[in-house]
Order: sequence, then C-alpha cells, then structure tokens
Amino acid sequence: MFACIYGRAFPERGRDAATLLIDLAFTFSPLVEQTGTDTVVIDVDGQELLFGAPVSSGMPESDWALNIANEITRRATLSDVKVNVSIAANPDVAIHAARSFKGITVIPVGEELRELGGLPLKMLDYSLAGIDQEKAEEIRETLGLWGIRTFSDFAKLSIAGVAQRLGQEGVRLQKLAQGKSERHLHLFQPPVGFEQALELEHPVAELESLSFIFARLLNQLCANLNSHALATNELRLYLKLEDKTKYKRAIALPVPMRDPKTFLRLLLIDIESKPPQAAIIAVMIRAEPVKPRELQTGLFIPLAPEPERLELTLARLAKLVGAENVGSPELLNTHRPDAFRMTKFRLNYRSGKNAGNTSRLALSAGRMRELPAMGFRVFRPPWPAEVQSMQQRPARINARGASSSYVICGQVVCASGPWRTSGDWWRADLWARDEWDVAVRSSSSEQSDVLCRVYRDLQSEEWFVEGVYD
Amino acid sequence: MLNAMMTAALAKTEIESALAQRFGAAFQRREKRPIEILPTGVNEIDALVSGLPRGAITEIVGAVSSGRTSLLLSALAVATRQEETCALVDCNDTFDLWSAKTAQVDLDRVLWVRCNNRLERAFKATDLLLQSGGFGLVVLNLADVAAKCARRIISSWWFRFRRALENTPTALVVITPIACVRSCARMVLEVNKETAVWLEAIPVALKSDDARLRIKRSREPATTQARHLSLVTGSNQNGSPESLLPHSRLFRGICVRVNQERPAAWIGSPVKFSAQVYL
Repeated sequence: MFACIYGRAFPERGRDAATLLIDLAFTFSPLVEQTGTDTVVIDVDGQELLFGAPVSSGMPESDWALNIANEITRRATLSDVKVNVSIAANPDVAIHAARSFKGITVIPVGEELRELGGLPLKMLDYSLAGIDQEKAEEIRETLGLWGIRTFSDFAKLSIAGVAQRLGQEGVRLQKLAQGKSERHLHLFQPPVGFEQALELEHPVAELESLSFIFARLLNQLCANLNSHALATNELRLYLKLEDKTKYKRAIALPVPMRDPKTFLRLLLIDIESKPPQAAIIAVMIRAEPVKPRELQTGLFIPLAPEPERLELTLARLAKLVGAENVGSPELLNTHRPDAFRMTKFRLNYRSGKNAGNTSRLALSAGRMRELPAMGFRVFRPPWPAEVQSMQQRPARINARGASSSYVICGQVVCASGPWRTSGDWWRADLWARDEWDVAVRSSSSEQSDVLCRVYRDLQSEEWFVEGVYD
Repeated sequence: MLNAMMTAALAKTEIESALAQRFGAAFQRREKRPIEILPTGVNEIDALVSGLPRGAITEIVGAVSSGRTSLLLSALAVATRQEETCALVDCNDTFDLWSAKTAQVDLDRVLWVRCNNRLERAFKATDLLLQSGGFGLVVLNLADVAAKCARRIISSWWFRFRRALENTPTALVVITPIACVRSCARMVLEVNKETAVWLEAIPVALKSDDARLRIKRSREPATTQARHLSLVTGSNQNGSPESLLPHSRLFRGICVRVNQERPAAWIGSPVKFSAQVYL
C-alpha cells in the first residue's frame, strides 16, 4: 500500500515546506518518493502492527490504512501544514487521489476506477507515465477532439484502438487513468552529510572526557562513510568554547582513511599540542568524503609503513620534537649553503611493475659510484671560531658550538683554499665568504686529525666552522 | 646411566608441557630465522659481511672525521635505491643534505627527525619509529654526542630496541663516538681514518705526520685523469669520468679502515675503503 501526502498551497511556502513534507514522510517510512515539491509518496506496507486498530474499538482490521492517514494528518497539523492524504494499492492512484480530493481518501484494491473515474482528464499527470510535455499536449488535444473528458471515458476505450492511434504513450496513459500502472517508487536519498555534532550539557575541560565524545562521533562518522563506500582525507574539528570563542583544527591525511581509532588518536594528539583555552560546550567533526585508497599490493613491492600507522607516528613525532623538525628534507634551488626546507613526509608509491624489478635494481646498483661519497656533517648554526692566520692562511683554530659536546681546537696541519663564494647580493641577507678545508690536530687528545670546513664571512670578517668531514 | 638420562629427558618434557599449558608459548624455543641483509654499498664491506643485518642493531663506532657518515650515506643510498622507506633520527641536527644528495640518497624516501641536541628525544623518536614498523633502515645518529653521555645511556633502551626489531625487516644503525650498544648490537663496525687525500693543499704545521696525513702536491690542471690516479690509493684508482671533476674545496677524500668488533674479528686484516668528495 502507498500513501500520498499532498501539501496544499505549497508553492507559496517555498522549499522549506517541501523539506517539511519530506521530514514528515520519513517519520513513517524510509521508502519515500518525492514526486514533486508538494507531493510525496510513502510505501506503508508492513505498518499494520504499528497502526492497526485496537481490538477494543471494534474497528475492522483492514482500516489500519485509515489510522495511518489520520496519524499523517495529525502530525502535519502539528507542523502547521495542511495536507491531503490518500492511501491506495497503486502509487499513481494515490497521487491522483491526494491531488484531487480534500482530506483523507482511502481507495480499496480494485475500486481505483470507481473512485477516480469522475476526475477530469486535466488532472491526469502525464509525467507519471514518462511522457514529455510536447507529446502530452498532442495527446490531450486528440482526446479533447474525441470528446474524452474524464478518467473513466479514457479507461473505457479499447486498448488496441488507443495503441493504434496514440502509440505506446497512449497505452501507458490509459493504464494510468485505469489505475493499473506498474512502477516502483523512485526513492528519495537524503543528502549525505559527513559531519557529526554534539552539544554538551556541561562544559568539558579534560581531554580524557573529550576522548569519549570524540570516539562516539567518529564511530558514527566512519560508519556513515563506510555505508557509502567512502573514506576521508581531511578531518575538521570545530569546538565551541565556554568563553564564546570557537576552536578549529584541520587534519590533512596523506591517504584516504576511515579508521575511527586512528582518527581519534590523531585528534587527541593534535589537541594536546594546541589545547583550547576554555572548556568545551559543543563539538562538531566534519569529514571530507573521497574515494577510498586503491592500492594493488604485490609480492615484490618494497617494504613501506602502513599509511595509517605512519600518520600516527608522524603526529607523535611532531608532538615530541615539534612539527617543524619532522619531515622530508627538500633542497632549495639556490647556492646558499645549507638551504633547505622541511616538507611533510609522504610515502612514495611507484608503479608496481617497476617496484622490485631485480634487473632494474641491478642496473641502478651498477650506476652507483664505485667510491662512496665523502660524508659531511654540518653544524647548525655554524660555530664561531677564533682563527690565527699565518701568511694569510689559517694556522690555529679554536671553536666550540653553543650546545656541542666537543671542541675543535688545535693546530692546522693542512689547509686548502680559499674558495670564495657569494650570492643573493640583491637581498638584505646576502652572503659572501672564503672557505677553507683544513685538518686540525688537537694538541691535547690522541685522536686523529679533524677534517673540517671553515670560512671567513666577508661581511663581518669573522671566522666560523661550518662542519666536519666524516 | 641411560635410564637416568631418559628420566631426566622425560621430566624436562613434562615440565615444559606444564609450563606451556600455564604460560603459553613464552617458554618455547624460537626458531632463528635466516638473517636478511641490507647492503652497505661499500663493496669491500659487502664482500665480507654482505651488509647490515635486518631485524638487529648495527653499531658504527668512530671518532670525528673517521668516515662514519660516509658509510652511513652509502647505506642510505642503497636502501633508498631499493625503494625502501628510511628514517634518520638526528640527535644533534648535523645531517648535511648536499653530501647526502651527492651520495645519491633519495631524500624523498628519508624521514628526517631533528632532535636539537636532546638525547632523550632521539631515543623516544627511534622507539616510535621502530614500533611503527615498515621502515627498511632506521638510523640513530649519535655521532656528536659526548662520549661521557654515550656511556650513560641506559641499557634498557638498547634491549627495548632489540626486542622491537626482532622478526622485522628493519635494520637499525646507530652511529656513536664510542661503543655503547654493547651486547644488544649484532654487529659493531669500528671506523678509523687512515689518511686524508688532498688535491692541492699546503702544509701549515711545522711538524706534519706523513704517516697519518698524506699530502699530494700537484700543479697540473685538476681535470686530468693522471692526476686523479695519483691521488687515490689502493684498488680504487680507476677514476670514473664524474670523479675527474675536482671538488671546489680541494679536499678529495679519506681512506678508511673498518674493523668488525662483534660478533667476531675480521679474518685477516681490517677492511679498507676510500670515500671521495664529489662535486
């Protein structure tokens, strides 16, 4: 059985009223069709137990449909909406009845034509038969010429004649008038919103209490994503604080995920690093829906951390040493010494067919240099040094870093240089220096000579130790 | 005698089965898996020990300018070329990106954690990385930590790392100024600098020790092959075309002697290799 709700004088009330009608329909059944802005159809099969007539009232059991219609009308009245309600075995019959008769109409099975037969033909909704406007006008004009005025007039015509003269569209239209059309409901899909919100009765100031709230919201959010076969690559957290301020955080994920435990840990780590300044009175979490990650795994793909665990590890490392100290280094396109920036570390997935290709690896190994490259360890910042020169060459060095454990102090036994470099002369922080590679022999210790790179800053005329070869 | 042995064996089996019922597999003897190896990229070392053992700690010990970082960069270059994900925990923030690039390290595959001279942070970061799993090579760089601080590192950290690494394909390399990992290290490599090789240098000190520092003077153009051949000692004298370019700073490289202290000494003499400065 189908119930149709037709909202009277709806065009004046706008889209809000249409939403109201949809909401009203969903309170009865999840199977709802929005036929128009003023019309919705509900599949009410199986609701006999909910709306069946009480035995004491003596009402026939088949009158449960009337009970549903009454309940719909009652709830609509509470929402200040005037509606016509009709219940029939056919959704199209219910639609025509609701649009044509005021109040409640219940059409028993088999009596569709008797109930609707008297309706004028202009009430026939051509769109329900899938007929476009132009063809509908043509058929309507033809029927008018034939003297067909009502549903019953049209229903009585022979189907062969209608098919011959009006084609298949005419046949579908005649079945619609007879109340014998067959179709399924075009179910209304509520717009998917991947956000969860909760207003708290009491302000929450502790992270532990908040974690339970987060867990609940994230579980719902991930279940919602899962039901739509989606994942998210960005989580946004909005907190309303007791001091009327708002707190926002966004967590960008390297790959689409939908694991509530991972999300919970990431949110907690993030909040711990930058806690809100007041107690929380409302929480909202929003997820950006994207397609889930598709990765073809294989036997020969090299080892790599799981993205979810890696993201957690990166968050923990950022909390431990600071976000600016964790990541993937990237050299800048400049000659300025030690110019680099940190970027977010991301896993590199290359094409599976190349990964693990032994011949390719062998080729790569073949291209490697025969001698290992000389390592260098750079001091950040460079160590200020006291340098004694002899014949314009460094002869003795004494340097110690601010936080270093050892000193470079001793006689220069060998020096090579100077190598003059400069750059960025158009900027305020220009640099110009003479570099020397020196071997320093400590007079106190027995250890071997320290090979280091020193330079004289041409701006300040001061010496620095840039680092050591190692 | 035979009966006594049989009785003892049966009693042992009974005790083991009883313990197994009570404590599960905690008392069962584990089978040792064959050790997987990650090559270091230094042919001389790989020829002898194949490389760095996975699922274990390798300690590289040496003084300043001994060649520890050169060996490390070589291992990192090999690991990243094999498309493995690597992590470098840099206790003193001394990792030089230009030398890593010239060593052909793929920096996109290296997670760099800078600890700003905080030793405890370095250990915690290493622990997080090992617990996370999935890394092919994790490096804990304590090269600039004072020897007295290295000696004070509590052993429980190393035991924890060793336990976390068991049965994983991750190789943990620790660079230290003195040997401090002790029994938890499966392999300890002691690195010493034998000689420094200069393209053109001027001895400044009045008493230069030729036995330790070999200085080659040359006034010929730096791009001739003959000149390059005269500088690099041992079997590595066949200079490749790219190595003909002189380093701008005129320092060429070092010859390194590596001795394996653990689990056993090298058979024969220590391994020697050279590290060279590339432009």
